[in-house]
Amino acid sequence: MTAVRQTLLLAQWQFRRQSTFLPLLVVVQVFIAVATVVGYGLLVGDPPPEVALYLATGAPTITLITVGLVMTPQLLAQSKTEGSLDWMRTLPVPRGLFLASDLLVWTVLALPGMVLGVLVGAARFDIELSIAPWLVPATLLVSMTAAAVGYALASVLPPPLANLVTQMLVFVVLLFSPVSYPAERMPTWLQQVHEWAPIEPMAQLVRAGLAQDAFSISGRSLLVLVVWCLVATGAAALALRRRV
Amino acid sequence: MVQDEVLTVRGLRKRYRGRRGVQANDGIDLDVRAGQVVGLLGHNGAGKTTLVNQVVGLVLPDEGTIVLDGIDAVARPGQARARTSIQAQANVPITGLTPRLAIELVGRLRGGERSAVRARAGELIEALDLSPWADTRAEKVSGGIARLTAFAMTVVQPGRLVVLDEPTNDVDPVRRRLLWQQIRRLADEGAGVLLVTHNVREAERVVDRLAILDHGVVLAADTPAGLTASRQGTLTVELDLLPGATVTWPDGVLARGSSRMREAASVPAEDAAEVVRWAQRQVQQGAIERYSLVPASLEDVYVDLVEAERHDAPAEEVAA
Ligand SMILES: Nc1ncnc2c1ncn2[C@@H]1O[C@H](COP(=O)(O)OP(=O)(O)OP(=O)(O)O)[C@@H](O)[C@H]1O
Ligand SMILES: [Mg+2]
Repeated sequence: MTAVRQTLLLAQWQFRRQSTFLPLLVVVQVFIAVATVVGYGLLVGDPPPEVALYLATGAPTITLITVGLVMTPQLLAQSKTEGSLDWMRTLPVPRGLFLASDLLVWTVLALPGMVLGVLVGAARFDIELSIAPWLVPATLLVSMTAAAVGYALASVLPPPLANLVTQMLVFVVLLFSPVSYPAERMPTWLQQVHEWAPIEPMAQLVRAGLAQDAFSISGRSLLVLVVWCLVATGAAALALRRRV
Repeated sequence: MVQDEVLTVRGLRKRYRGRRGVQANDGIDLDVRAGQVVGLLGHNGAGKTTLVNQVVGLVLPDEGTIVLDGIDAVARPGQARARTSIQAQANVPITGLTPRLAIELVGRLRGGERSAVRARAGELIEALDLSPWADTRAEKVSGGIARLTAFAMTVVQPGRLVVLDEPTNDVDPVRRRLLWQQIRRLADEGAGVLLVTHNVREAERVVDRLAILDHGVVLAADTPAGLTASRQGTLTVELDLLPGATVTWPDGVLARGSSRMREAASVPAEDAAEVVRWAQRQVQQGAIERYSLVPASLEDVYVDLVEAERHDAPAEEVAA
């Protein structure tokens, strides 16, 4: 009970501290989501229905991943540099709750962009979605994993390096991941890398949740995703607990 | 009285690794009891913040024990933190919040109940004269107000041990007095207070005990009276010189240092009257602008102790 209360209070602290930037942040999220759909649409011209469906169901994953993998580490890096993290670590709050509250904040922030991305995609390409009942928990898992990986990155790396790495990751996610196009288009070695990376399972899970008639996710992918989530959360929690 | 011990530190050692390792704490013993304000003095880099960070579990000691309200703080940092509130040396960034909101949120995070925290926050804001700024966005608040806000955030829901790392920095003299009153009150209401400060003169009147830290070692720990005892019977004369003037001290006066246009010396109390007559003549002759005679202060004792240590152990620097 106290844990929930403390998590909500911490989330409130983070939310209010960012309050001046929050509206802008949400706008940027929405923009990224819409731009992915429309931009890729321009790249591929007037796509056939399967390609269009692929694109429209990949866009929300891109939003979720960029929030988790970019925003989370950048804010953690910032709070390291400005000294908030050290101060927070002196509070009588279990270490895991910092992680929980940050994940909560980022998941909530990612939602508007994601929803709008889906709607715009469906309208632009005139596709039929078939939403699975487990879409919401699936989205949470994806969002948590992305944020946990980002958090772990920023916990382990020094701030400037963390910022660089996350910027590179966005590039990888946008262009070199099987999110907006099928994996078969990538060179074999990259396909193999993605079999073990969390990005493809994330895309598959969201895709299957949005259009369950057309797509599904294999048990193996789901397992890869869950393992990533656990390992990243554990690493971040360990880093928060570390004493120099 | 034994159960009144809030903090007991024994043989604490910490070395920061790296190319040029630093032995920041080199065997520290320290006690803080409930109801006491214990001042911790020491030069920049003496290891004060390092000590404090080990108490709250941000830094892991190499050796030694820390018992905090009966808890082994090295083995159970989480439980130790639940019993401590700390104002760190660096200010807490609270941009986006107002001082009042920040104080209230922290109070509730520490487990305070909403209305009680609100009342206590209001009381602190009043007592520290923060009201004009209490509801201003933190980015528009001055450095001293931010410092006082950080203090209030620390004591809104105080632990058994309250650690304050240089709370008076940046704070104006009037509010500093209010701050000292609040610090004293914390102890009077039962907390143990560990106070790191460079403000020896003001701390002297508030603390119950003082520990002087030098290169990671406690040089002396006693009550302010105990520390100054060795210099009882001596007074300090301070002179403000006029431009271009020099003075030659009369016999029996021990020069203690000079800076531009200022001279200080110590005098045995029985010779004080004579020195005053001498100083008065200097004023009339136009050599000095004014003079003052004050009891030997803790600051003098502190400087003496640290200087004696320098002379005794010149090899220390090389070893480090
Ligand atoms: N994280 C760190 N890594 C390496 N060395 C450190 C670290 N923190 C402090 N030191 C070194 O340890 C020594 C003690 O530092 P500490 O911050 O405890 O001093 P302090 O007494 O608080 O000084 P001040 O009065 O300036 O605040 C210094 O020599 C400092 O350079
Ligand atoms: Mg310090």
